[in-house]
Amino acid sequence: MSEPRVCILQADGINCDHELFYAFEKYGAQPKFVHVNKLRSGQDTLRNYQILAIPGGFSYGDDIASGKILAIELVSSIRGQIEKFIEKKGLVIGICNGFQALVRTGLLPFGNLGQMDATLSQNKSGHFECRWVKIRTEKSACKFLPAGLVAEVAVNHGEGDFYSTKEVINKVEREKLVTFRYIDQKGKPTMNYPQNPNGSTNAIAGVCDPSGRIIGLMPHPEKFIEKTQNPNWRRPDFEDLQAGFVIKNMVEFLKRS
Amino acid sequence: MICTVRVTSKSKTDSKGQGLAADARKILKIKSISNIKTAKVYRLEGVSQKQALKIAQTVLWEPIDQEMSCEAPIIKDAKKIIEIAYKPGVMNPEVSSIIKGAKDIGIELSAADSSYEYGFYGNVTQKEIEEITKRLLVNENIEYVVKKTPQTLLIKGTIPKTKLVPIRKLSNKSLMELSSGKLFLNLEEMKVIQNYFKDLNCDPTDIELEIIAQTWSEHCGHKTFKAKVIIDGQEKEPFIKRIKSTAKNNSSIIVSAFVDNSGVIDFYDGYGICGKVETHNSPSAIEPYGGAMTGAGGVFRDILGTGQGAKIISASDIFCFAPWDLPEKELPPGCLPPDYLFRKVVYGIRDYGNRVGIPTNNGSVHFHKDFKAKPTVAAGAYGLILKEKAIKKSPQKGDLIVVIGGRTGRDGIHGATFSSSEMTHQTIDTASTAVQIGNAIEEKRVIDAVLDMSDHNLIRAITDCGAGGLSSAVGEMGESTGAKVQLDRVPLKYAGLAPWEIFLSESQERMVMAISPKNLKKVNELSRLHNVESAVIGTFTGNKKLELFYRDEKVGGLQMEFIHNGLPQRVMVGKSKKANVAQKAPRKSDLLTTWKKVLSHGNVASKESFVRMYDHNVQGTSALHPFSGKNYDGPNDGVILRPIYDKPYGFVTAHGLNPAMTQIDSYWGSIWAIAEAVANYVSVGGDIKDAALIDNFIWPFPDEESLADLDKSVDACVDIAKILNMPFISGKDSLSSTYRYPSGKILKIPPVLIASVFGKIPDVAKSTSSDFKKSGSTLVLLGRLDLKNLGGTTYFDVASGSSSQVPKVDLENLKIVLKTLTEAIRKNQILACHDISEGGLATALCEMSFGGDIGAEIDLSKISTEDDENILFSETPGTFLLEVDSSSALLKQKGLPLIIIGKTLKKETLSIRRSDTKLIEAKTTELKKAWQTPIKEVLSV
Repeated sequence: MSEPRVCILQADGINCDHELFYAFEKYGAQPKFVHVNKLRSGQDTLRNYQILAIPGGFSYGDDIASGKILAIELVSSIRGQIEKFIEKKGLVIGICNGFQALVRTGLLPFGNLGQMDATLSQNKSGHFECRWVKIRTEKSACKFLPAGLVAEVAVNHGEGDFYSTKEVINKVEREKLVTFRYIDQKGKPTMNYPQNPNGSTNAIAGVCDPSGRIIGLMPHPEKFIEKTQNPNWRRPDFEDLQAGFVIKNMVEFLKRS
Repeated sequence: MICTVRVTSKSKTDSKGQGLAADARKILKIKSISNIKTAKVYRLEGVSQKQALKIAQTVLWEPIDQEMSCEAPIIKDAKKIIEIAYKPGVMNPEVSSIIKGAKDIGIELSAADSSYEYGFYGNVTQKEIEEITKRLLVNENIEYVVKKTPQTLLIKGTIPKTKLVPIRKLSNKSLMELSSGKLFLNLEEMKVIQNYFKDLNCDPTDIELEIIAQTWSEHCGHKTFKAKVIIDGQEKEPFIKRIKSTAKNNSSIIVSAFVDNSGVIDFYDGYGICGKVETHNSPSAIEPYGGAMTGAGGVFRDILGTGQGAKIISASDIFCFAPWDLPEKELPPGCLPPDYLFRKVVYGIRDYGNRVGIPTNNGSVHFHKDFKAKPTVAAGAYGLILKEKAIKKSPQKGDLIVVIGGRTGRDGIHGATFSSSEMTHQTIDTASTAVQIGNAIEEKRVIDAVLDMSDHNLIRAITDCGAGGLSSAVGEMGESTGAKVQLDRVPLKYAGLAPWEIFLSESQERMVMAISPKNLKKVNELSRLHNVESAVIGTFTGNKKLELFYRDEKVGGLQMEFIHNGLPQRVMVGKSKKANVAQKAPRKSDLLTTWKKVLSHGNVASKESFVRMYDHNVQGTSALHPFSGKNYDGPNDGVILRPIYDKPYGFVTAHGLNPAMTQIDSYWGSIWAIAEAVANYVSVGGDIKDAALIDNFIWPFPDEESLADLDKSVDACVDIAKILNMPFISGKDSLSSTYRYPSGKILKIPPVLIASVFGKIPDVAKSTSSDFKKSGSTLVLLGRLDLKNLGGTTYFDVASGSSSQVPKVDLENLKIVLKTLTEAIRKNQILACHDISEGGLATALCEMSFGGDIGAEIDLSKISTEDDENILFSETPGTFLLEVDSSSALLKQKGLPLIIIGKTLKKETLSIRRSDTKLIEAKTTELKKAWQTPIKEVLSV
C-alpha cells in the first residue's frame, strides 16, 4: 500500500492536531483533518482512512471526566463506522486526551466498544504536569511496535494514572497489552515521580487492545520528531531518543501489509 | 422538575478535598479537620427520573472508581456538608457539555448545572467551617452556598425599557452624580455631552450615554496618553505620539504598528508575526481565577482579531503580588490575600491556556509589598499570520455585522469604565458584574472557526469583543462607515437584558466580523461545523451614524464623529517628585546566608513548580523550553519556537520589568525594564535588528506626581529604542493602580513598565540555553555591572538597604555588547549564556550551574575591588555570564567590557574567591534547595 490515509480527528477542544498531522506527513502518510461533525453528518466517513488518530487536547473541556464527552459522542453517534473500521483492520492511535477518550469508549484495553474497563485517573501529584520523561516499548500484542525501544517524550496532562481493578490490571498484563512503560535513568520501569509523572499502575504509559491494532498512550510521541524539540538538544551529552518511531512504525506496517 | 445526581470517588479521600484540608491547616491554622471529601452534584432539568438515571449511568458516572446516587445524599458520615454552586446567571462552562452528552444519548435537557459538595470530617466546629467556606471556598462574586435546592435553573426576566436621561437640565452637581459610580467621566466631559444634546434639542437614551462613557473611558479612550502634557512647566508632546514616533526606528521590519489589535512584523516565507500584551488587574483583584482566565482569553482574541485572523502560537504571563507572607493586618480592607491571589491567578492561566492549546512559555512573577491592594496581572500572546492577511481592512457599505462565539449575558457590564477607576474597600462588593468566568473551549471553538473562515477568505474585517463589548467593537469597526445594529438579534444567555446591557456587556469569547453578504452562507456553514454560534446583528451602512434598534424601536443614534472625536483633548500637568527614598546601607551578614536569602526571594526563586502546570509544550513548536539542563530545571531567559514545523526559522520572545526600581526612579527603572527584555532576548540567540518592542504601562491614577513619572518612563522608552534602533509596535496603558483606604488615605501601587520583545532568527540551531555544558570551560562576564548603585535590588530587599539610585544600564556599551553576543551565538562560540538580572551575578551563576549539574569557581578580584556583595548582587541588565571554550574567538575581541572571571568545575560546588582568599564554597544542592523550595511551598505542590 502506498501512503496510508490518516483521519486526524478534530473536535471542540482538541489541540494537538497540527503536530500530529505533521508527524504523519513526515513519516510518509497522507493525513487529513476531519472534524467529528463531518463523520456524524456523513460528509466524510472512516471508510476513507486506514488510520484513525485521536490527538491530545481537552475535548469538550474535559468536562465531567477527561475525554468523556468525546467518548460518548464516538460510541453513540458513529458507532457503526468505528466497528466497520476495526473490522477492516484499520489502525487506531489515541494520544493523551485521545487515549483517555479511547479508554472511555471501551476500545482500550480490551476492544469492548461501549463498555469501560479501566480509567485514567488524576495524577498522583494532584495537578497538570508538563515535563519530559522516558518510556520503553514492552513485549506486547501491538502489531507494529517491537519491545525494547526507548524514547524521551513530552507529557502534558492532569489525568494519566491508568487505573482499574486488580483483575483488570492482571488481565492487561497477562494478555500483553501494556505497550509502553515509564522508565528511570537505568532503563527500569519506575513508580518514582517525576520519571513516572502520574503514578500510573505498573508504570503503564500506554496500552494496546488484544488485536494489537488499537493503541493509546499518555505521552506525546508526535512532539519529539525533530531534534530541536527536546529541551536538551544543545547539550554535548544529549542522547537523541526521538519518539517518532511510534508513528513511523504504524505507517510502515500499513505500507508493508 | 429537577433531578439531582451525586457522584463521588470510591476512595475515602480525593485530591480536591485533600488540597482544601491542607490549605485549611496551613493558611487558616485549623488543625481539627481529619479529612474533607468532595462530591460532584449534577442538577438535570426537563427530564424524567428514568431519563436522569440513564444520563447518570452513561454520562456522569464511572463505576470503576466512583459511586453515584440519585436524589439521595452520597457523603453520609461527614460532620457537615456544604454545597457550593455558581450563582444563577454566572455561566458554568460545564453545562453545555452535560447537555451535549445527554443529547448524544438521545435525551434533551432543558437546563442543567453542576456544583461541588464538601464533606467535613473530624472535630471541626461550625465556626471553622464557616471560615473555610468564606476564605477558601466561596468567591461571593460568582458563587454561593446552596442552602435550598433550586426550583428551576432557567432564568427568566422581563426586558427593561430604554430610558431617556434628562441631561440637558442637569446642574453641574447632578451631572457629576450621574457620572460617579457609572460613567466615570469628569465634569468637563459631562458638559461636552450635555452641550451636544442641547444642540440636538433632545435628551440621550441610556444606551447613548453608555456608549459615549465606554468610548471615552480611560480604558478605551486613552485620554492621558493622548493628552497635551505640561511637565514641570514645560509643554511636551502627548505620550502616545512619542511612543509611536519610535516606529521610524528600523521601520522596514514593520508590517503594522499601533493600528490593529496587535503589532505585526516580518517573519519568513511571506509570513508575519504579531504580538500583544494586555493587563487585567482590576478583575484579577476581586476574582483572580476568572480575572486571569479572561485576561488570557482577551489577549488570545487580540491575536485572532489581527488582520483577517492570526494563529496564536505563544502566551506569556506576568504577575506582581505582595509577598505571600504579608501579615494579615497589613492587608487593606476589601482586598484578597496575596498567596490566595497568586495561586488562583496561576490556576486561571493554567486552566485557560492549557485548554485553548496555546503554549504558555514565557513569564515572570514579582513581589513588592505595595501590591497588597491590587496585583498586576498581564497576559501576552503572539501569533503567526500571512502578511497578505495582516493588514486591517475597513468594512464596506452593505457588509453584515456578524457576532460569533459565546452568548451575551449580564457579565462584565461596566468592565471598561470599572477598569479605569481606582479601587476602594467597596470595590469588591459593587463591581461583581464586572467579573466573568472564562470558557476556554468556547474560545477554542471560535478560534477554530475564525481561522477556517480566514483560510476561505470569508472575512473582510474582524475584531475582538473585549472591554466595552459590542459597543466598542462595532463602534470602532464602523467608525468610517456607520453601523446599524438590531440588538434583539444578539444571542443571549438568558432573557431580561436591557438593550444597553446587550450592547455594553463584556461577555467573553465573542468576536465581531464584517462579512460580505455573498459569504454569509459559507460563514454559517463553518460556524455549524465548529459548533459555534454566529448571528447577523446588523449592517455597516455608509451614513456615518451608529444606529441601534430593539425590535421596532429605535433605542439610540449617535454620530460616529461625536463618539470618536467629540472627546476634548485633555491638558494635564505633571510635577516631578523629589527623590524620597532614604539612603540606608544594607545590613551586613555572612555572605552565604545572604546568598541563600537572595535565592529564596520570590523575585529570584525557581518558578518551575508552576511553569510545569502550564502546558508550555503544546503545538510541539518549542526549540528552547522555559527550563532545560540535566534535570530540566535550569531556567532560560526567553523562548524560541519553530512555528512552521518543517522550517528552521525561529520565533523568539522575552520580556522585562522591575516594579521596585520603577517606583524608586521611573526613568532608570524603565530603562532597566527594556534593557532586561532585550538582554533576555539576545541571551538566547535573538537579534535586535529583527525584533520589535511592546510597552505596557501599569500606573497609579495620574496625579501630578505620577504623571511626571509616567512622562519619564515614556522618555526612557523613546531614548533606549533610539539607541537600539528598535520600534515599539504595540502597547497599552492602564492607569488605575491606586487604592483608597476607608480613611481616604491613598496607596499607590508601584508603577510598572512591562517591556516585551519579539522577533525572528533564521535558524533555531544557532541559539543558546543557560545550563552549563561541561567542566573546564571558561566563564566570562560580558558588559559592565553598575557596582555603585543597588537601590531596588533583591539584595537590598533581603538586607534592608535602601537607596534612591537604582543600577544604571551601561547605555554607552549596550548596543555593541548585544551585537557582539548575537554574532558569537550565531557562530556557535557560546556554550551557555545567562543575562544578569534579579539576584545578580551570583544568581546567574547558580542557575547555570543547577541546569548543568556542574560546579564553578569565580574570582571577584578580576571584576572590581568594590564590596563582594555589590559584585555578586548588582542587577544590571545588559550584562551576561557566558560559558565558552578557552579557545573561543570571542575572548580575543578587543574594545569590549569583557572579563574572564573563572571556570566550570566537575565537582558540584560553587566557589567564590577574591584572589587567593576563599569567600564561599557551597554545594550546588544546598543552594538549589534554597532556590527551589519557596514557591513550591506557597503553591503546596
